[in-house]
Amino acid sequence: MLRITGGRVYDPANGIDGIVQDVCIADGRIVAQADSGPVIDASGMIVFPGGVDVHTHVAGGALNFARGLVPENQRVARKFLHGLKLRSGIGGMTPTTFATGYLYAGMGWTTVNEAAVPILSAKHTHEELHDIPIVDKSTLLLMANNELVLDLLEVGEVERAQHVVAWLLWAAKAYGVKAVNPGGVAAWKWGKNATTLHDPIEGYHAVTAAKIISGLAGIIDDLGLPHPLHLHCNNLGVPGNVTTTLETMKILEGHRAHMAHLQFHAYGGHDWATMRSEAAAIAEAFEAQTNLTCDAGAILFGDAVTITADGPWQHLLHQLTGRKWGNLDVENETGCGIVPYVYSDRHIVNAVQWAVGLELLLLIKDPWRVFLTTDHPNGGCFWRYPEIIQLLMDADYRKEQIKKLHPEAQKRIVLADLDRQYTLSDVAIITSAGPARALGLSQKGHLGVGADADVSIYPEKPNNDGVLFAYPRYVLKGGEVMVEEGEVRATSEGREFIVRPSYDEQIVEYIRPLFDKVYTMSFENYPVEIERLRRPEITTCK
Amino acid sequence: MITLTLKEQPNVPLEAEVLSPDAMAALANDAIRALPVYLGKKPCRVDDFFTVEGEASDELEIRGDARKIKWIGRGMTRGRITIVGNAGMHLGAYMSGGTIEVSGNASDWLGGEMSEGCIRIRGNAGGQVGAAYRGSRLGMKGGTILIEGTAGLEVGMRMKRGTIAVGGIVRDFAGLEMRGGTIVLLSGAEIRTGAWMMRGTIVSLKPISLLPSFLYACTYNPTFLRLYARHLGTLGFTIPYEEQDGAYARYTGDAAIPGKGEILIWKSGKA
Amino acid sequence: MTGESGASLERRGVRVVDTFAEAFDMRAARVLITAQSPAWARTAAQCMTGFATSVIGCKVEAGIEAELLPHETPDGRSGASVLLFGFDAAGLSSRLLERVGQTVLTCPTTACFDGLPQAAERVIVGGLLRHFGDRFQSSKFLQGQRYWRIPVMEGEFLVQEAFGIQKAIGGGNLLILAKDQGAALAAAEAAVDVMRKVRGVILPFPGGIVRAGSKVGAKRYKKMVASTNDAYCPTLRGRVGVTSELPEDVNSVLEIVVDGLDRPAIENALSVGIDAACRPGVVEISAGNYGGKLGKHHFRLHPLLSEASA
Repeated sequence: MLRITGGRVYDPANGIDGIVQDVCIADGRIVAQADSGPVIDASGMIVFPGGVDVHTHVAGGALNFARGLVPENQRVARKFLHGLKLRSGIGGMTPTTFATGYLYAGMGWTTVNEAAVPILSAKHTHEELHDIPIVDKSTLLLMANNELVLDLLEVGEVERAQHVVAWLLWAAKAYGVKAVNPGGVAAWKWGKNATTLHDPIEGYHAVTAAKIISGLAGIIDDLGLPHPLHLHCNNLGVPGNVTTTLETMKILEGHRAHMAHLQFHAYGGHDWATMRSEAAAIAEAFEAQTNLTCDAGAILFGDAVTITADGPWQHLLHQLTGRKWGNLDVENETGCGIVPYVYSDRHIVNAVQWAVGLELLLLIKDPWRVFLTTDHPNGGCFWRYPEIIQLLMDADYRKEQIKKLHPEAQKRIVLADLDRQYTLSDVAIITSAGPARALGLSQKGHLGVGADADVSIYPEKPNNDGVLFAYPRYVLKGGEVMVEEGEVRATSEGREFIVRPSYDEQIVEYIRPLFDKVYTMSFENYPVEIERLRRPEITTCK
Repeated sequence: MITLTLKEQPNVPLEAEVLSPDAMAALANDAIRALPVYLGKKPCRVDDFFTVEGEASDELEIRGDARKIKWIGRGMTRGRITIVGNAGMHLGAYMSGGTIEVSGNASDWLGGEMSEGCIRIRGNAGGQVGAAYRGSRLGMKGGTILIEGTAGLEVGMRMKRGTIAVGGIVRDFAGLEMRGGTIVLLSGAEIRTGAWMMRGTIVSLKPISLLPSFLYACTYNPTFLRLYARHLGTLGFTIPYEEQDGAYARYTGDAAIPGKGEILIWKSGKA
Repeated sequence: MTGESGASLERRGVRVVDTFAEAFDMRAARVLITAQSPAWARTAAQCMTGFATSVIGCKVEAGIEAELLPHETPDGRSGASVLLFGFDAAGLSSRLLERVGQTVLTCPTTACFDGLPQAAERVIVGGLLRHFGDRFQSSKFLQGQRYWRIPVMEGEFLVQEAFGIQKAIGGGNLLILAKDQGAALAAAEAAVDVMRKVRGVILPFPGGIVRAGSKVGAKRYKKMVASTNDAYCPTLRGRVGVTSELPEDVNSVLEIVVDGLDRPAIENALSVGIDAACRPGVVEISAGNYGGKLGKHHFRLHPLLSEASA
């Protein structure tokens, strides 16, 4: 039992907006009353539900490949020395596993959604996730370039495709479905891309990006997965991609969907010299389609490492910048590209990108539909989220930063005209309540009775740099104080959320011979055994 | 002057970046003795391995066969280190000022990613002189490295600026992925010199084998080399430049990128 | 012989007027040109300093300061140092670009270096001339300086990226008033011979000598910037409207103009010049000024005379 008293509580999911009240915890959950146990005096502090990161890249083959590609970053990254309770690790842009947990918890984030897992390396991902302490996790399985699925969509066998998708989800022990550059990464195996939504994908005659998107969205709705299709649209990063994004939204009409890192998909112009913000157009169309959620994918100036399954885009980025490039092919399933990058406020395109992320967060009025992310580590490191919060909450500060941008960039954005300031309640929604709801994690993102006791307590006043959320005074996970005064005091093993969708067992007879024919791995070794997950929380669908 | 005499050879290499003017300039003798050095992961004291005389100076003399002492002069910005003996890996890495002189040999990664200052090795050096560490975009950004003996692989790998002069022969891949600066090879090199070179100058006073992606341009006496000859002359390295003595054959490359680098090979006697 | 102020002094029968030369704040650059031989260095220097007698009409005043021996130049070859004077750094910068580009870059075997390494103010010269290389140029950075190597048909043109600009003085002068043209010229030539040996100065006019010394503005033509100095023109003595400054027996006057990097250099040059000009046939040595109202550098002649040996 534990009680938090005197703090100003922000629990927007339950309509509590800055009321000073007690938060009581017992057996790792929020309860109505706690009569015994320690008391945390939170006077002069604000009490938030623990942060939920709906889209980040923290574990698995792609990330490990990235770690290997940037030894120069490891040399200068923050060092975590092992101690009695802590394991050693390296921070920086691609933190090692233990450091990832300490960094997230150290910020007050307690649930993390690993957004891109290939089935083939799911085992590796789960091993790494297990080594991320404190935070709970979920994973999204890459599906939109999976040739087993695409082959079925090619011949219109959507129902069989549904069983395959469900089987793959359970085989990988994942939580949801991720679509990255639908068809584009399959085309990349031919050195091509999928830049139009209605043309057949390279190697196919009937399958188009549009068909993959609508096919998967429909399948996921029919499977009743807690989280909808999580979509990284075609033409990420390309000037003028606003048309692709708007078109994609039309294709999604009638379906639930979550649009990932929308900032990268909101550009106007027709080339790098004319690239500008079209956040306003995207926000308007997005607001009209109420079945959609999104996350910002905002960028911050400074170093980043771009890690994405969008192989062709990464190759283009390498050619544009001359930076080193790593490319991984995942047989039959997907791919991956890595390019270390620096966002500069002197660079007109980067300045526009910086503005677009903030514009989306400010123009989309409903904070329940747009969530705080940087597509870590693509747009910036997750441990810099507090900088974005500061920009959202303080319009004067934001406008000062805009003035520092290249004058040409200032002409291409609307950010200077936006006066909206995020309230603490808004912040609690975009960092916790909203993503928890979108992920379908009903015990996360709020402080009502029955919720997991993941609580972050921050000082009420910002620090000397004006940053409010950088150093929580306390972070509780499952009712235990894990972080106090910015120091990790205890660790725990987080849980992993997975789904068990229903499928016809017969589908194995369809999959196995194909698998034997096209995969280099033996079929028996492919599915992840449930025993490999130490603390799974299974949601059975339908 | 602070004199450190090696009294005990470490059984594994010692990480000793504290052996630098910046670390010692303001310290009294007992504070210097107590500075931490790492034997593997075990922290030890400087005086576990060295006798220490003197204090509070930015001139250091290290005596003994310090070939297993790593990171001497790491990141130094001022002062002088004189090593009477050999030196271990990463000597003068990241330095941005001051001078280092070694009477014996140095090991690999001499002057890695340094930005200013001067290093002179009377004996031989290892590989990766003035080079970029793994993954870094650039190696040394300035300064001068002088090696009177031979050097190893990948001399000046990814260097951006600065001058390296080597009296003895160097091994493969001198100037690998070079981005600028000047490498002067008084005794030539083994193979694959200048591979992947983007910019910069490699001068060889002896014939060397060249990659097929280095294309012959001309034979001439470039004026800029006279500036280098004067500068290196004051440092004890002589390079020829007069028309009556010969000329340089210029090869541009690495055409595989395409790069704008050059390799100048001395041909003595009149054309 | 020393004299009190107000009194004339004499040297070898020549009167030295107790007056002063009035000189102006200027900016200067020094260019070191090296080449394969002294002749080619001289050729480039002469070409570079052509048409550079007066800032008024030529936008710059330039001349050869000295010929340099190999040990005096950055690349160890024969050379020449050229001084250029202008009113401001921006103007000088443009002149350097034009002149180095058109006359040094184009001249066989030359290289071009900055001769004012201590000057804090720097202008980009090689860094702009490099564009002639059409992106085929390259640079070397050595001991804190960048040098551009511009590929040319002959081989390579080496030029330093940045040149120093410093404060300087322009318009120091001497007037040689003589009995006839021949005597004036002989005296002026003798003065120029010794003044040319002084470092830090140039004599920008043809052969170092001005036969057509000027006054500011004009009496008759409204818009002229300068016109003949009628007070010193021998044919205008006695003319209505002319107040002649010429003593009785003077029939020809020549002027020597000196630009210098600093006061001591100009004083040195004027001093050795006055002494050399005191020759048979010369009546008076004087100097031009504007009442002290225009230029802030005044060079009184008498103190300069005492410096030189009598």
